[in-house]
Amino acid sequence: MQIPKFAWKLLGVGAGAFAVTFTIYFFNLDMKLLSAFEPILLRHYDRIPRDQHL
Amino acid sequence: MAAIQGRQRIGDKQLGVLFDGGKVRRRREWRGVKDTLYDYGRWLYILSILAKFIVKPRNIKAMFRYRWMANYLAVPHMVDKFTMGLRDEALRIVHTAMDFVVYDVANTMDDVFRGDRRTGNDVEFSNKCVLTDENEMTAFMMGFPNVKAILREVPTMFVANLLTQNSTTHYLDVAQQFGIAGDVCPMPEAEAGISIDDDFAVLGVCAVQCNTTCDGSLMGNGLIAKRLEREYGIPTFQLVAPMRHQEDDVQAYAAQDIKNAIAFVEEHTGQHWDWSHYFECAKRVNDTTRNRLAWLEMNSTPFPQFVGAPFSLYNDTNYMGNCGRSEKFPPIDRKIMRYAERGSRARRMMAKEYRHRAIVWGVQPQYCIDMLNWMVHCWGIVPLTDMLSLVNTRMIADTDTPENREQAFYDMAWLNENMIMRNRTHGGYKVLVDELWEFCETMHADMVIMWEHMSCKALTGMHGQFEEQARARGIHLVWVCHDLCDPRVYTRQAIRDQLNAYMRTVMREEPLDPSIEVLPDENAW
Repeated sequence: MQIPKFAWKLLGVGAGAFAVTFTIYFFNLDMKLLSAFEPILLRHYDRIPRDQHL
Repeated sequence: MAAIQGRQRIGDKQLGVLFDGGKVRRRREWRGVKDTLYDYGRWLYILSILAKFIVKPRNIKAMFRYRWMANYLAVPHMVDKFTMGLRDEALRIVHTAMDFVVYDVANTMDDVFRGDRRTGNDVEFSNKCVLTDENEMTAFMMGFPNVKAILREVPTMFVANLLTQNSTTHYLDVAQQFGIAGDVCPMPEAEAGISIDDDFAVLGVCAVQCNTTCDGSLMGNGLIAKRLEREYGIPTFQLVAPMRHQEDDVQAYAAQDIKNAIAFVEEHTGQHWDWSHYFECAKRVNDTTRNRLAWLEMNSTPFPQFVGAPFSLYNDTNYMGNCGRSEKFPPIDRKIMRYAERGSRARRMMAKEYRHRAIVWGVQPQYCIDMLNWMVHCWGIVPLTDMLSLVNTRMIADTDTPENREQAFYDMAWLNENMIMRNRTHGGYKVLVDELWEFCETMHADMVIMWEHMSCKALTGMHGQFEEQARARGIHLVWVCHDLCDPRVYTRQAIRDQLNAYMRTVMREEPLDPSIEVLPDENAW
């Protein structure tokens, strides 16, 4: 039985997606990237005018 | 106790290799093929929850409006803290419980921003919401199927500090700039700081606050209620639970106050109390109690299964935030039970050796919440249960009869009076001191890890009593001081060092995994 071309493509995309996401997962790249955003967000919050009172 | 030997952990043996002194870990843990793939699958699931949350424009708007939202960048990092070193059923139990907590908090936040006047501003939805104090059992909401109880402090303060250790420091500074003393419990002080800083979401048709924790909480609530009522026009009810909650003569008063709270919610939401829905929820509360007691019984055996901070946080969410109101908890309870029973039958262990069985007493440092898991892997000390999980054991009336309708007010009052933590820190000597030794006996504990929250006045007076009685019983009592959610006073390592010093000098033991005795996580999330 011949495996249809789209199935190969699907398998290839799946394998590629797994390789990319597993690399991100294992080397904690998601957290490394998001942790770089934190100081930017904190600077942004500091600039928001706030109605501070008791 | 005699140490119990288990098998070597598959995958990473030295967990210290994961830390490099940065904000996040060097890499994720290698747990062998099967468990690494399982953990990877759960990571994808958590990312899907976060993605579903952040695609909504109102939630993006909230991300740029509220400072505490920045902590939510660290959700996967928090889950990694809870699962460190775990394999097999223990890994699955923690993921099942904590991933559901993540899901539940994400839903709460979605509701918060839907009604929030600054972001979603869905007025119709907001008018069906009641702001409910995070420190009360939501029992008085069990008969309102069409009203949402919104515990806005939970994502704003409580969970934020589990995510990143410095989440409260800005708000504590704000509160102290406005003259609030620095030695107040940092939890209500941070909440007061959030209110002063105008950083709480604003929604709801009315609010219900409580006195259940302490005087610090009353201080914070006073400031928050002032802003809610005078600035935002949100009427606020004070649900006042008696201090001597074990005494019969206070129960009629407590039940009456529950009736008053319900009447207040009916008045402001225009909804009526639904008894059939109440008793449906009551059945689920009883199920939760039965399951928790079964897990505690399992933890009395040589092979505990559902332990540590995930056990405590899951109970917190299930009792306080949920209180039988959600249909989504029972299937999660059952799934955890299946894993726990399987783990118990297979005699699964979380570390290669169990040297001590500990009861964890007092209130945990929120910013060092993974310490109990660290304790298992570093020293082979199994935290059988914590004080916060030793909550209600009574079955409440769950069938709809005329007598039970009256009893229901007493049951709701009982749940509220016996809210997590408060059922031990209030109510007298017996619930705080005597019962600790009873738990040590029934759970075969040889050690008590005694959290000493330095800004909490409730337990300070009992210090000497605990020491004297532990000595008389031959129980190792380890005092571990912390400042609940302010890491600037006691750092994480300063907390761990207290246990390290006890284990080395008193117990004369060497760590199971020396690579994590000192962790470079001062700068970590």
